[in-house]
Amino acid sequence: MELITGILTTAVLAGGVLALAALGEVLAERVGVFNLGVEGLMALGGVTGIIAVTLYPNPFFGFVMALLVGLGFGALFALATVVFRANQVLCGLALTMLGSGLAVTIGKSYSGMPAKATFEKIIVPYLSDLPIVGRAFFSQNILVYLIYLIIPAVISFMLFRTRHGMNVRAVGENPAAADSAGIPVTLIRFCYVTIGAALGAGAGAYLTLAFVPSWSDGVVAGRGWIAVALVIFAGYRPFGAVFGALLFGVITAIGYVGQARNWPISPTFLSMLPYLGTMLAMILPVFLWRRLRLGFTAPAGLGVPFFRDER
Amino acid sequence: MSGLQSLRLVRVSAVSGRRILAARVISFIAALAVGAVVLAACGFDPLHLGTQILKKSLGSRFGLEDLGLLLTPLILTGLAVTVMMKIGLWNIGADGQFYIGAFAATAIGLFVKGPEPAMLVLCFIAGAAGGALWILVPTLARAYGKVDEIITTLLLNFVALLLVYYVATGPWRDRTTGTVASTGRVPYEMPDFFGSLHWGFVIALIAPVLFGLLLRYTKWGYEIRLTGANPEAAHYAGIPVRRRMITIMLLSGAIAGLAGMLEVTGTVHRLQGGISNNYGYLGVMVAVLARGSPVGVIAGAALMAIILNAGIILQTQGLTTAAVLALTGLIMMFTAVADQFAHYRLVRALPVPAASAAAG
Repeated sequence: MELITGILTTAVLAGGVLALAALGEVLAERVGVFNLGVEGLMALGGVTGIIAVTLYPNPFFGFVMALLVGLGFGALFALATVVFRANQVLCGLALTMLGSGLAVTIGKSYSGMPAKATFEKIIVPYLSDLPIVGRAFFSQNILVYLIYLIIPAVISFMLFRTRHGMNVRAVGENPAAADSAGIPVTLIRFCYVTIGAALGAGAGAYLTLAFVPSWSDGVVAGRGWIAVALVIFAGYRPFGAVFGALLFGVITAIGYVGQARNWPISPTFLSMLPYLGTMLAMILPVFLWRRLRLGFTAPAGLGVPFFRDER
Repeated sequence: MSGLQSLRLVRVSAVSGRRILAARVISFIAALAVGAVVLAACGFDPLHLGTQILKKSLGSRFGLEDLGLLLTPLILTGLAVTVMMKIGLWNIGADGQFYIGAFAATAIGLFVKGPEPAMLVLCFIAGAAGGALWILVPTLARAYGKVDEIITTLLLNFVALLLVYYVATGPWRDRTTGTVASTGRVPYEMPDFFGSLHWGFVIALIAPVLFGLLLRYTKWGYEIRLTGANPEAAHYAGIPVRRRMITIMLLSGAIAGLAGMLEVTGTVHRLQGGISNNYGYLGVMVAVLARGSPVGVIAGAALMAIILNAGIILQTQGLTTAAVLALTGLIMMFTAVADQFAHYRLVRALPVPAASAAAG
């Protein structure tokens, strides 16, 4: 029992990083832009969060500053890919290099220092006393509730229950048709790619202010790539992304527990688990339930720049 | 209407290589200018750094040798990505395949004894086979389940990195010299022909040309091109689309694995944690720069090698690896945008309908 509670608590905490970044990527991919720069955005957000709380020790300040930096770099990426219609894969990889390199350069003097302010646990009365799940789900920092419930609910409602959301999805599915219907394709793409990037940077701040909590070179450790993978696994749905992140968190947590309890497996192999687990989670369902795939296809316009005069 | 208003930017689908080259040169200069401003702001002298780079990379024999050593893996990983682009798929996992190719070659080198030429051939086969094996699961998942290959190939990069890190610091660690992060020296070496430049460079130069010829002049190549352009039409024409896809993906993995094998036997002579040096990811950039042309990969790799080499020189001048990485990212972003700008030209408003009809 104690073991399961421990794994779940760590899983929820660890999964939050991926969930927030994946939610951002869901937004970008829903409007048809493939952002491979999440890894770099997370690094930038992480270092921004740490620097911000060093200047003014309030975790919310750090988180908001990270979101703003994400907006800035997201706008840069959107300018290149949406306005100038440059190759999305190339720009995404370039953003990862730029972001990771810049973050390490800026963060050199902050490396290894514990965060000056972190997100504290909020203990929900009564619910946190529930057996097994109580401590895991109702004794976490405030961002966890935001990431697992509020943000996906808002995105989900917007995408699937509003007129605006229908337009947003149309832009990702068939930009030419959306354009004919008078939907501002470029504007919508620009906005959601930028907002998505901000969430990616926010995930970095969550990592350095709530999860680790400190900054060091390589702290992001491929989480940005996994977030991108989760979006496809999630079938481009906000709650799917959150669920996938939690699942991934569980696998990561099992690895941590294994290391802490000296299981007779090398930590290196335990570190492989999340990646292999994600692969399995992507491949198995396809072969087990073929029909499942129908509702999980990518937006048809994903990765394709939209040129009005080439319609 | 004023004269200015009658001018309009129009996108042209097909543009000449010369226009793209011109746009790239302009973007490269623009990126360098931005980089120079950033460096100057950080207290470096950009002019001094620039002359150092030119002197040490293109102006000396050692510089040219280093350039060749960088070019070898970049051409091959770039080709690996290009090969898969030809059938409309992305291989973001060249880094992992590179690692496994290097891993397999090292395994042969450390544990099999024999005459050097035969062992080099065996390493060659092992490297290629290792790379192909590493892409096997993504290949089958893609061919039989349409599982997105971008993500599956990417995820295996981390597994390969961890595996190589594990053997290099654990069971295969060099116990004679006491280094903790690499294996012992692989006794079989690719022979050198120009200073420290080995014959792997020549292999890397031949491979894209060979693939380009196969693609253009054989029935197999024609079928690959048709499948890449329109899989449904290819299927309708009786081409075994799934089989072609599997061969292409395995070939791509094998080429990336070969790059790893050459890096071990030709350049580094040991297996170590960071041996891939991001060549797999850089290969994606090389392939995009080459715009799907196998021979263009050599030019794309050359540009990338010059940038990387400049980065190494900048590090000796006091810049960190991270700063160089950021600068490289900036240059790549500018290059990507410049490629698009090459597609636009200024025309008068009146002939626009005709022009756009032709473009569409």
